[in-house]
Amino acid sequence: MSFLNPLLLFAALGVALPILAHLLNRQKVKRTDWAAMQFLNRNVRVRSRQLRLKDIILLCLRCLAILLLVAALAKPSWRDGASWIPGETRAGVVIGIDASFSMEHGGENTTRFDRALNQVEVISEHIHPGDPVSVILLGGEDEVLIHNMAFDRERFNDLLQEAKATPAGLDLDGVPKRLKVLVEDMEALQKEVYFITDVQARDWRRSSARFQEALADLRNDAEVFLVPLPGSPANLAVTDLDLVSGVLRKGTTARYHATVRNCGTEPVSNIEVQCRVEGVQIDTKTIPLITAGSSETVSLFVPFHNAGPTRITAEISGDLLPTDNVRRVVAVVRDRVSVLCVDGSDGDAGRLIVASLLARGDGAQDEDYVVRSVPWLSLPSQPLDDVDVIVLADVPEITPEQVTQFSRHVREGGGLVWFAGENVKSAVWNERSASGPNPLLPAKLGPPVDASTSHGAGRPLDPAMPDHSVCLPLRSLPEDLFSETRFLTRLDVEPAPSSFPVLSLAGSGAPILLEHSLGRGQVFMFTTSAETSWNNMAQTPVFPMLMQQIVTYLAGREFEPPRVVGDSLSLSYVEQPDASDAVFDTPSKESITVPVREHRNQFVALLENAKEAGFYEARVSVQAPGMPVAVNVDPRESDVTSLTASELNKNLKGTNVTVATSEAELAAAIETSRTGRSSWRQFMIAGLIFLLVESLLADRLRKGKRSRSKQPDPVPATLTGAQDA
Amino acid sequence: MSENLPDTNYLDPELLQRMGDLELIAREVVEGLRVGSHRSPLRGFSTEFAHHRQYSPGDEIRDIDWRVYGRTDRYYTKLYEAETNFDCTILIDASASMNYGSGKVNKLEYAKFLAASLAYVVLKQRDSVGLSVFDSEMREYLPPRSAMGVILQIDQLLRDIKPTPKTSIAKQLHDIALMMKRRSFVILISDLFSDVDDILAGLDHLRHDGHNVVVLHTLDPYEIEFPFKGTWQFEGLEGEEPLTTQPERIRDDYLAGFGEYMEALKAGCVASHVDYTTVDTSQPLDLVLSEFFNERQSTLSGGSAAARL
Repeated sequence: MSFLNPLLLFAALGVALPILAHLLNRQKVKRTDWAAMQFLNRNVRVRSRQLRLKDIILLCLRCLAILLLVAALAKPSWRDGASWIPGETRAGVVIGIDASFSMEHGGENTTRFDRALNQVEVISEHIHPGDPVSVILLGGEDEVLIHNMAFDRERFNDLLQEAKATPAGLDLDGVPKRLKVLVEDMEALQKEVYFITDVQARDWRRSSARFQEALADLRNDAEVFLVPLPGSPANLAVTDLDLVSGVLRKGTTARYHATVRNCGTEPVSNIEVQCRVEGVQIDTKTIPLITAGSSETVSLFVPFHNAGPTRITAEISGDLLPTDNVRRVVAVVRDRVSVLCVDGSDGDAGRLIVASLLARGDGAQDEDYVVRSVPWLSLPSQPLDDVDVIVLADVPEITPEQVTQFSRHVREGGGLVWFAGENVKSAVWNERSASGPNPLLPAKLGPPVDASTSHGAGRPLDPAMPDHSVCLPLRSLPEDLFSETRFLTRLDVEPAPSSFPVLSLAGSGAPILLEHSLGRGQVFMFTTSAETSWNNMAQTPVFPMLMQQIVTYLAGREFEPPRVVGDSLSLSYVEQPDASDAVFDTPSKESITVPVREHRNQFVALLENAKEAGFYEARVSVQAPGMPVAVNVDPRESDVTSLTASELNKNLKGTNVTVATSEAELAAAIETSRTGRSSWRQFMIAGLIFLLVESLLADRLRKGKRSRSKQPDPVPATLTGAQDA
Repeated sequence: MSENLPDTNYLDPELLQRMGDLELIAREVVEGLRVGSHRSPLRGFSTEFAHHRQYSPGDEIRDIDWRVYGRTDRYYTKLYEAETNFDCTILIDASASMNYGSGKVNKLEYAKFLAASLAYVVLKQRDSVGLSVFDSEMREYLPPRSAMGVILQIDQLLRDIKPTPKTSIAKQLHDIALMMKRRSFVILISDLFSDVDDILAGLDHLRHDGHNVVVLHTLDPYEIEFPFKGTWQFEGLEGEEPLTTQPERIRDDYLAGFGEYMEALKAGCVASHVDYTTVDTSQPLDLVLSEFFNERQSTLSGGSAAARL
């Protein structure tokens, strides 16, 4: 026998009260000598004994009633082998439903999630009214749909109607912990946990030992049932949509790459990829065949007719899992792009930079793409309002006013590219632009160091971040062409915590190109020169590709890079905003107000955990125009292959978890495992009956006394007048 | 009772107890009673003529029978059977049960005051009064005398009374009946906690011998009302088994038994022509006596003696 609320058993001490009262009453016996003992005769003595007996019976009834009521409140229960004891087989139920977006796969004429809800219905048929029940949707942030609700079928079904899969993945390792929290929150004689999942092989195969341990630990608190819902592995997913080339400028066309992956076990042919800009289909490509488990990429050409943020999607159709069939990006298209190159070198750094930026197919700059070069001494007179990207090449020093000017330029969304050189006065730069909480440059400058190999040859480049937009075109270069770029000298730098290397030197790993964010803009820093004294970069094809990609990245980058569901979305401010809140509109047109916070002298509004896939819109205020942010699903979740039965059993070995693969198996497993009996109702009823009997008996005694006292007084009237005791 | 003497300030028994001196108590009580009363409440009990004897010097001149002198020319004086009008014997039950009192005055104390007061009344009428104190045995006996000094002896006897555990009223009444050769006035002061039939048999014996019997049934108010509350242990004064109970729950049973006993006792007294009066020890002594004498006077005027309720 055990109690669900054992602490309440202390209330049983309350039984001492009537006993104490009884004993105290007996202790308070007053003694008197008595002459008229002949009238306290045998009848009176018998009656007195009867009264004492009745008192003891009443006391026993009272004590018994208290004990039974206390026991009822403590909720007594019996485990196995106590079937003769009156009671009901009751259990508290925690149902965890895998709500990751793989559950929306409709391979068996219905989605896995709908099948999961059917299993929940089977489970609910075994839940008694009043039993505690919790339902949690596992996926992304996890949503507790029902928490410790006394089971009511109608309400339960209503709440279940609200259940839907989330476009996020499942953190399988965290599932036992989440379920355990709910189990521990629950007060029930027997606890049962049902985990309904499509046993996605991708998650289960890489589940850690920690998961096994947590599952075994959960088994200590509750009966654990795993209800697998395996399904067809067939699934296509658009996993990437990246800008490959082109400046995001009005009137131009940019090339995007869309990657489609076949996650299934069968090859799929004739996959049509549609490209939409602001919802309008502008390009369609067909992939003839994607073999099982491989990916294919198609180029999508996106013409920009208007300036401003532009929503671009790549989408496939006719797939069983629609959630991952679309990929979204946002391009910020400018009216025109202007690059100002400030040349502080004694050589021809400025000229080389301009040449690299203008080295394009048509061979000339047009009126919407302007690249200028000025000597650094004339910088104070140059207006920066119309400039999108500033390139500082070997500029010896900088004034505080210029630092302020450049910082503001970057914070407002502009770009800055900085080149080292022989004229650079590191101390001045460090003092004015590489210190403080939000430095302009991504690293502190050190002295020039030799970057050559022991044989005196320069070191080649190594993309530190191959997937960075800047590095993407370099990946298409032939290896020998790429390795032609050699570096002899570089500045020794101390990168700031907020910066990260984009390019580094092969072998040494020393950073060549560093990047960091400042407000809405980015700063790129080359630790080497743009001229040929320190390297031969400007003489190789790498340089124009690199420079043009940097300008494209800086001038046309999205307001925010694409996020995945579960990521945070941020809105950065140039200055302290007037409004204290920013507004994020979700893809489902819900508005979320987020407070603006100050962080390192920057003002940021942060929306934590984007829950939907689609285009969010961030606005500095309710009336302000929205700036779209693309949020996609995590492509890793697109592999919907389920674990085989044998793999599942192997995975669950030692955890003592019951696997129920069908509704019949599930029903049978529940019947078999549910052996605990709860008797609190019986105790409560018995306690109340005893209380009632006690009350009736006491009342009857009182009434009997009253009726006797109503009888005519046998004592003659003349004998009255005795003082009242 | 108070209706008859509405403006009288009665003597509280506790006050009398503080006085201590029985003679003083008796005087105080009785003198108060005699105010405005010119007739003895006991008048009517005459003595009997015995015979004549020749006058001798020293005899009272008033006792000379002048009729005999007229016929015989000799002086004879009249001699009577007794020196006084009547003999009165007060019987006091000194058993342990009389020692109970819910207030400061127990029944025995009250009985002492009652006996002293009655003795004083009798002596004031120049009658003889005696006292018998008994429990299971006859403890003390003072033959009736008419001298006022007898009150002091009575006082001393009453002071010396020590309650004893057992009482046997019936036996003592028989014994006393045998002892008293001359018809007299017997006043029994007792709580009569014994078998009713035995008590009535004893009283019948006294009546059969021609005695005038008055029963002053002395009871404590608690014995009449049984007003206890809570849990009580009753310790018998005469060695009975103690009883622990909740009196208020058995009160009805007690009063029923007590009522039956009282009914039987009073009915027996009426049948035996015994003058019965219940004395509540919470009542002022002078009030009790006043009522008692008033009732007696009205009874004697009306004829038969009867128990009064």
